[in-house]
Amino acid sequence: MKKHHITAIIFLALAGAAAIVSGASFLAMRKPDIIVPGPGVSEVVMLSNWYPQLKGTPGDTEVYILGKGNPGASMLVLGGTHPNEPSGHMAAILLIENAVMTSGTLYVIPRANASGFTHNDPQEGAPQSFTIQTPNGPRVFRYGSRATNPVHQWPDPNVYIHASSGQSLSGSETRNRNRGYPGRENGTLTERVCYGIVQLIKKEKVTITVDLHEASPEYPVINAIVAHPKAMGLASETVLGLEMQNITIGLEPSPVNLRGLSHRELGDFTDTLPVLMETANASQGRLRGRTDEALVLTGKDKWYVKAQKLGRLYVPYDENGHPLEERTGRHLAGITELAFSWTLENPDSALEFTGVPAYAELQEKGLGAFLRPLP
Amino acid sequence: MSQEFFIFVVMVGVFAAGTFALKWPVAVSMLLASVAGALAGGFGVPIRHLVEGTFGYVDTILTIATAMIFMNAFKDSGGLEALSAATIRRFHKIPGLLLVLLTFVVMFPGMITGSSSASVLTAGAVVAPMFAALGIPGVEAAALIAMAGILGMIAPPVNIPAMIIGGGIDMPYVGFEIPLLLLTVPLAVFSAFYFGYRFVKKTDISAVVRTLDTKTLDQYGGFRLFSPVLIVLILMVLDKALPKIFNLGMPLIFVLSTIPAYFTGKRFNILNSAKTAIEQALPVLGILVGVGMFIQIMTLTGVRGFIVVNALSVPPALLYLAIAISIPLFGAVSSFGASSVLGVPFLLALLGRDQIITAASLSLIAALGDFMPPTALSAIFAAQVVGLDGYGKTLKKLVIPSLILIVWALVFIIFSKQIRTLY
Repeated sequence: MKKHHITAIIFLALAGAAAIVSGASFLAMRKPDIIVPGPGVSEVVMLSNWYPQLKGTPGDTEVYILGKGNPGASMLVLGGTHPNEPSGHMAAILLIENAVMTSGTLYVIPRANASGFTHNDPQEGAPQSFTIQTPNGPRVFRYGSRATNPVHQWPDPNVYIHASSGQSLSGSETRNRNRGYPGRENGTLTERVCYGIVQLIKKEKVTITVDLHEASPEYPVINAIVAHPKAMGLASETVLGLEMQNITIGLEPSPVNLRGLSHRELGDFTDTLPVLMETANASQGRLRGRTDEALVLTGKDKWYVKAQKLGRLYVPYDENGHPLEERTGRHLAGITELAFSWTLENPDSALEFTGVPAYAELQEKGLGAFLRPLP
Repeated sequence: MSQEFFIFVVMVGVFAAGTFALKWPVAVSMLLASVAGALAGGFGVPIRHLVEGTFGYVDTILTIATAMIFMNAFKDSGGLEALSAATIRRFHKIPGLLLVLLTFVVMFPGMITGSSSASVLTAGAVVAPMFAALGIPGVEAAALIAMAGILGMIAPPVNIPAMIIGGGIDMPYVGFEIPLLLLTVPLAVFSAFYFGYRFVKKTDISAVVRTLDTKTLDQYGGFRLFSPVLIVLILMVLDKALPKIFNLGMPLIFVLSTIPAYFTGKRFNILNSAKTAIEQALPVLGILVGVGMFIQIMTLTGVRGFIVVNALSVPPALLYLAIAISIPLFGAVSSFGASSVLGVPFLLALLGRDQIITAASLSLIAALGDFMPPTALSAIFAAQVVGLDGYGKTLKKLVIPSLILIVWALVFIIFSKQIRTLY
């Protein structure tokens, strides 16, 4: 055998070994998080219940229904639209595991982009999961990608054209769930999931929809609520309520010319009142340093501290970072305040729940205190 | 010295030692530099991260591989040579205009695909023999093709770096056409004259026309011979104009257009042709794989954040200098990567300017990343389609026009508000 053949065989064997090791790691991502339904959960159904074409696809995802059949208003909470923004996912899970409805109905989708939880964005160096210690042992949660897994939807076009408006965006946005609303019945997987959520909202006549997100600290819309014009009154009252709890939060109108986002299209195409909430997540930012599980959990990052001192950020940033408890707490406080504000103005169609940890309580006790033991 | 700086020095050091001292292939050096960076960062040998980083270039690799197969098939069918002969025969009396027109021809595939590689590998390869016949030396021809490639990538209607930069601050890709034309068209005309005119005016093109070998052209006819290129162009345009119906993507367009090339001209062995194409493309494809690993480890270990924050740390007066230096340098990873990682923070730092013109200008500077080794896609392929052995001399020729391009883009940023009032 010639020397270069031996070299080739060695390299092929090394490549094969790398493929096996990394393949096992990638396949492990497909195992979903375990979510333990709390006492308030009436039913768990799949999104395909409202749009049967999703059944059996990687886009189909659990919808947890709390207080099914209760009189009153209803709210849909979307966590995990972007699976690299973990506070939205965790807030949805804490609602499922703790909330008990006293009036109205709560729909919670913790993995709004189920496919996005099965992979990470190339060249982002993200961890595949993060662990939260609880009194009953560790609970592990996926840290995924901003977009649908290309294994499930590929290839991207050079340019993504939003179907109902014709707006052009970079091709990779084709797999961004929050650029695909109101969705298309026969569109891409991402568009079909959006379409399924729109069907849920329409058929269940969902009163309020809350899409939970996080943003890079250098992004201008952060620690904020973005509201469709018809949800602006409700969002304004919510902001006032949060400010009274010393939770500083901005209020942004949904831009008319930026299409495909939940706060714009759900308001235009359905009767729901859509709002989107953002918190500050260093682990998705461009300025971050070492990217690991600790960054996801604590938000502590020396480069963001430096960037803050340079005036490059839109959110205060110091050595204490922005821990996951704080970010999840902001979302839960926002959701609670939205329900409270709605009920205050619409006592005949109330939306009330108990059991959801308060912002200060979450800071004090940590996320683990509110996660149920695994079965 | 921060830990990130230490890791960066280790990575660059291993890469330089491997490439220059030990003469390893660039791709292998990048792999080992990535492993060294991960070890220095305390991550061990993170195989999952090394493999994951490469996925960022899967689509690019497919486009380059299929484009190379197409171009080799078109060349082996005799189409490339015949196209050159036919164009010179028709336009030889107006060489200055011909030069500018050919530059725009090279830009065209980039304009509709958003990829400089698509421009260089398709129209660039078609135009290369015409430049040779017009008397332009290989190095200058390669430089002109490379420059036209990146200008095509930035010219409207499709400019992916601008979409990426705009997307970073939720700015839709609307209203970019005029600023992008103002940015690119003058530079294209300048480049054509800068690189080519002094040679073209000295060349006796009538003599060139008399010595043209038109045997293949006369035997099969122009329309039949050139139809594979026409099919590529038609499919590219349909892809753009009717995305809901076609939406084929560049790799499939090249594969579909390779099939007719087998029947339209001289007989050739299509498997051998494809094998040669992949052999030619393999070093570049390997570099892309290596760069994918390199950037993943840079991000993982915090080196990327170190670079970005330090680029943003300069005093306001030096911000333009930081833009001019850091974005093209980071483009060594990829121009799209530079757009996202540095383009967005710089746009945020320039929020007082006209946002569309500023984003368009930053995208033009980001495009220079395609000249930056080791990826240097536009320059490598331009040197390859012209038939040069290496791309070092081509890069040297591109230095002055690149500096002019940067100044041009910075002028647009500084006077963005005034320029906005002009249209």
